[in-house]
This record gives sequence, C-alpha cells and structure tokens, in this order.
Amino acid sequence: MSERVSSGSERLNDMLGGGLPANGINLIIGLPGSGKTILAQQYAFHNATRERPAIYLSTVSEPLEKILRYGQTLSFFDQRAIGSAVFYEDLGGTVNDQGLPGVLERVSGFLKERRPGMIVIDSFKALHPYARRDEDFRRFLHELAGRLSAFPVTSFWVGEYGHDEIAESAEFAVADSILSLSVDRVGGREFRVFQVLKLRGSDFLSGKHAYRISGDGVQFFPRLADPVDQEPYELDDARISSGITILDEMLGRGYWHGASTLVAGPSGSGKTLMGLHFIFEGARRGEPGVIATLQENAAQLERIVHGFGWTLDEEGVELMYRTPVDLYLDEWVHELLQTVEATGARRIVIDSLGDLKAVSTDDTRFREYVYSLLQRCSRQGVSVMMTQEVGELFGVTRLSEFGISHISDNVVLLQFLRGESRVKHGITVMKTRASAHDPQIREFEITGDGFVVGDHFAADQDLA
Amino acid sequence: MLGVPTATLRTWEERYGVVMPDRSPGGHRLYTRDHVEQLRFVLRSIEQGMQPADAHRLLKDRLGDHPDAKVAITGSETRLVIMLAERDPHAAELAEYFLRTEGYETIMALEAREAEAVFEERSPHLAVVDLLISGGAGPDLCRTFRERGALVLAISPLESRDEALEYGADAFLQKPLDPLQLVSTVKDLLGQSAFLRTEVLSS
Repeated sequence: MSERVSSGSERLNDMLGGGLPANGINLIIGLPGSGKTILAQQYAFHNATRERPAIYLSTVSEPLEKILRYGQTLSFFDQRAIGSAVFYEDLGGTVNDQGLPGVLERVSGFLKERRPGMIVIDSFKALHPYARRDEDFRRFLHELAGRLSAFPVTSFWVGEYGHDEIAESAEFAVADSILSLSVDRVGGREFRVFQVLKLRGSDFLSGKHAYRISGDGVQFFPRLADPVDQEPYELDDARISSGITILDEMLGRGYWHGASTLVAGPSGSGKTLMGLHFIFEGARRGEPGVIATLQENAAQLERIVHGFGWTLDEEGVELMYRTPVDLYLDEWVHELLQTVEATGARRIVIDSLGDLKAVSTDDTRFREYVYSLLQRCSRQGVSVMMTQEVGELFGVTRLSEFGISHISDNVVLLQFLRGESRVKHGITVMKTRASAHDPQIREFEITGDGFVVGDHFAADQDLA
Repeated sequence: MLGVPTATLRTWEERYGVVMPDRSPGGHRLYTRDHVEQLRFVLRSIEQGMQPADAHRLLKDRLGDHPDAKVAITGSETRLVIMLAERDPHAAELAEYFLRTEGYETIMALEAREAEAVFEERSPHLAVVDLLISGGAGPDLCRTFRERGALVLAISPLESRDEALEYGADAFLQKPLDPLQLVSTVKDLLGQSAFLRTEVLSS
C-alpha cells in the first residue's frame, strides 16, 4: 500500500482505506459552517513536524485572524506548534496585488524555504475571480498542480463548492481526492453528512456518513456497512437463558449464543421487562450486558428495575441511555459498539427499534444498519434482543416493523388477549432459526418477580 | 551598479529585502563592500539560470547559515558540478535549488539529447537522471554517463530501483524527491569518490 496521511481520526482513516494517499491534492468542499477549515487544520496539526511543517494559507474569504481566533478554541490546536511546525500565512495580500502568478511564486517560495509536508489553501474557490478568463484559471491550476506534484507535499484545497460544481470546475479533475461536508434535511431536522466523492489509488467507504463538530474537531461516524465476504466464523452450539424458565423451554433450551431476537408487542405488553430479564440473567451468569435504551433515562429505569428487585448498579449491567432528540443513528451505533467493547458485553438489549427508526433518514439504510449490527454481534458471539412496538392493542395481525423480523433469528410476540372480563397477557415464540420451538400461545403475568409464564390458553380463548 | 539598473536594485530591495544598503544622512543608498559581494552572488546565480527570487532566497539562506558572509558566497569556481536530466521543469527547479543551497553547481537539461550535449561540454561529476526523460530515454543516459565515468543517481515517479541499478545507476530515488533525501544521497555518492573531490578542489 502507498504511504498514507493520517487525519488523527481512526474512523476517518478507515473510511479512506487507511488514510489519504500521501503527496496528493485533496479538495475539502462544503458550504460555510460545514467544518472544512476545522478538518483541514486537524490534518495540519496532526501531521506537522519541525522538519516537515504544515503551511496554512488563507486567501480572501476568511481573514487569517479569524481562522486563528476560532482555531485556538479547538483541543488539537497546539499553540506551541505555531511558528515551528505549523505556519499560518496570508495569501490575500499577494493575490490582491499580484494575482494568481503571485500565488504561484509564493507557493514555490514556501516549498523551497520551509520544505513543508503539508500545504492548505483556504479558500481555494475564492481565487477564481482573480482569473480574467477560464483559460487563465486552468493555466494557474496546471502550474500549481505541477509545482505541488514535484515536491513530496500533501495539499488541501478548501472551498465553498456545491456538488453541482463538481462537473464544471477544473480543480475537481485535478484533485486526487474530494471530501465533502454537507447537510441533509429530513422534515425539520438537519443531519451533517460526510462523503468521499473521489479517491485516487485507494478503496473507500462509499455512501453518506454522519459527522459532528465539537471542541475536539470534526468527529466521524462511518455508516455501518460490513462487507459481504468476510472471514468465515464458527457459531458454537451453546444456548443462553432468556431469564424466564418456561420461555427457555418454549425456545428449546434458550436462545442460541450470538443470536438476535425481536420482541414485538403493543405498548405495555412487557417488552422492556423481557429485555431486563435477559440482561439481569446474563449478569447473574457472568455474561455482562448493555441496556441500550432511548426510552427511559437512568432514574426512570432504576425505578422500574427496582420494582422487580434488581438494581442498575449491579455488576455486569451497563446502561446506555441516549435521548432520541437530535440523535444520529451512525453515532449511536458507534457508541453502542464502543460500549460493548469497553464492557466486554455478551448481551445487548435495544429498546426500542421504533425510536431508532424514527431518527433514520432512509428505510433501506435502516435495515442495512440493523443487519450489519446483528452480523457484527453474531461474529463476536454477542446476543442481541430488540424490542419493537406494534400498533394494534388486540389481535395483532402484522408486525409493523421494517423487515427486521426477517433478519432476526428469533421472534417473540407479546400480546393482549380478552376473555373472562379481563385483559390477559399472551406470549408466543413465532420463529426460532435453526431450532424447534413450542408454537403455543401461553399466558403470562407480570408480578414483582417479573414474568411468570403459565400454561397455554384453552381452545375457547378468543385470539382476535 | 555592477551593470544592474537602479530601478531593478530598488525592486529587489523592496521585494526580497536581502541586500539592504545603508542610508546616508541625506537618504542616499550606501553599498558597502559586503553588499557589493552579495549583489555579485545574486548576479552570478541569475547568470546560471536562476530566477531573481531564488537567487535572493539562496543568498538569504547562505547569509543565515554563515555569519562570515564572504566565505559563504564566494569561491564558486571550485564547486562540484551536478547535472539534472529531468523532464519535469518544476521538479528540476526544486532539485536545482536544493542542490545549490548545498553549494553544488548545477546544470539542467529537460531532454535527453540536450542532456548528452551538456554532459559532453561540462563533464559533470554526478548526473541525476529521470528514467522517463524524453519518453523513456533515461536508461540509455544512465549507461552512457556511467561509462564516461560520472556517478549516476536515477530517479522516477515509478518504483524502479532494481531496473535503475541494472541500467548502471549508482543509486535510485522515487519522485517526488524529498530534499533531505536528495541532498544526503548526492553527498553519499560524491563522498564515495573522494579522489575526485580532492582533484577538483585543488585544481
């Protein structure tokens, strides 16, 4: 593999197949406020050394003073590096006085004097008006690209370009890579979207990825898309307990190790409680678990679990609560995987899929996400339970899910049934992959001890 | 002064700020002996094909490195000669600059035929040969120059180390050239023929 330039962000490097190929010309494009300058500075500070410094050239778009003023609030901005490893220079005066030939001469001068490993020109697009004709700008581009290619330097041209300009502006043809920062609008919400539009000489992770801007710079959340042809892996034949004895029997000795289970049912039917059984049983058996919930915060959930004699402080129980407000699916998945890694979790409960679906921008992508997540967990032997609310209170005729029951190994349906002047709870194992199961509908009650599953319903029970 | 129009001297002074004459109480420019030496250095560099900006940059570099400026900018007659046979003018310009800052005399050729002619005329101690010059004439140049006793440093944007050594090159570097690597390789190669250096310097 050719030499790569790291961004300092492992996830961004991964999306770029290991990093940007060294000594290339890279375009960072996006509308004002999208984080282009921050990303370029991230690259500069991460790679600059005294021997091979980074030179940051501002042009006529944003004054150098401003770039520095905002830059210093970022955690990676190392003031001590400025003037020794990172040099900020203003090209605005040069381009105003001497036009584009002046820019060429200054860049050549920097190459000779400072021998940089990296050069950023921000904004590059702002140089356009200094060419009288289109040919002049092309000549300038050709000359500049020639000079930059003759020296081992990685360049970033930063500009407020839109995607519609890619076919028109010559710099896109010259560039070895194009990194785009943009915004997708869905309803009233905005999602920051990162895309690699071009990358010469390297594979990259295509599609749209989420990112956020924080005090640590631009943070990336690559979309979860596990390649189809991965290394083969073996599934053992161990079974794990659901935490509910009779349910284990219905499933044929519990769930397969590393399997995924969808628990569907109307509101109040006990889905969350089934998840809690699953997690606390795991904790009891030394299999740590993560409760990834978008429903109850720690205090609310503690009150619930307390009612069943459990506590969230129990060893082997990790709560990952995230509010569904302004949630990025990509970010959430990465946090979940990180939490699983950090805690050594063997079990996960996702409560609920509906909340995740609500923050997803695209149905197909949502299914891909869940599929990739389940695949990854299965490979690691992590068992996953997902809850899914169904719309109908009685007589569930369809699972209003998003094709997830299809990709889940097991499906358990919780439902309300009427009879004898009361509402009864019914539990049914609808599907178990690679295993036989008891197909009967059994009655259960929710008591202080949690689920108490009883016998199957009599023939006269109304199922509608 | 030295045949340079006053207007040009002023432009150089304003633009590069390297040769800065003193001022008389009346505001006239006063050039000391050192200033004149510095201008001679600039003119000599320009004569050898350098741009005025690079000539001043080189002078500044030399003055910075050597507190005793006279030593640094005189005595070019005894320098080792390096020929750059390089198809890319930008790469050639940079390599030339970095070699000059190390005190080598450099001559450039952008095509194979020109390179052969220049070699005949100047008999350089070392030739830097781009293997892809003139559509791939580099290997022949390597063999020819090597046979005639020069050291050869082959360069190419492609990884052609093995091929380069087959063509008779003494060393190979992949482009784009890192200035430090270029200079240290050249130094190593020229260091190998110490007798040559003594011969040149004593002549």
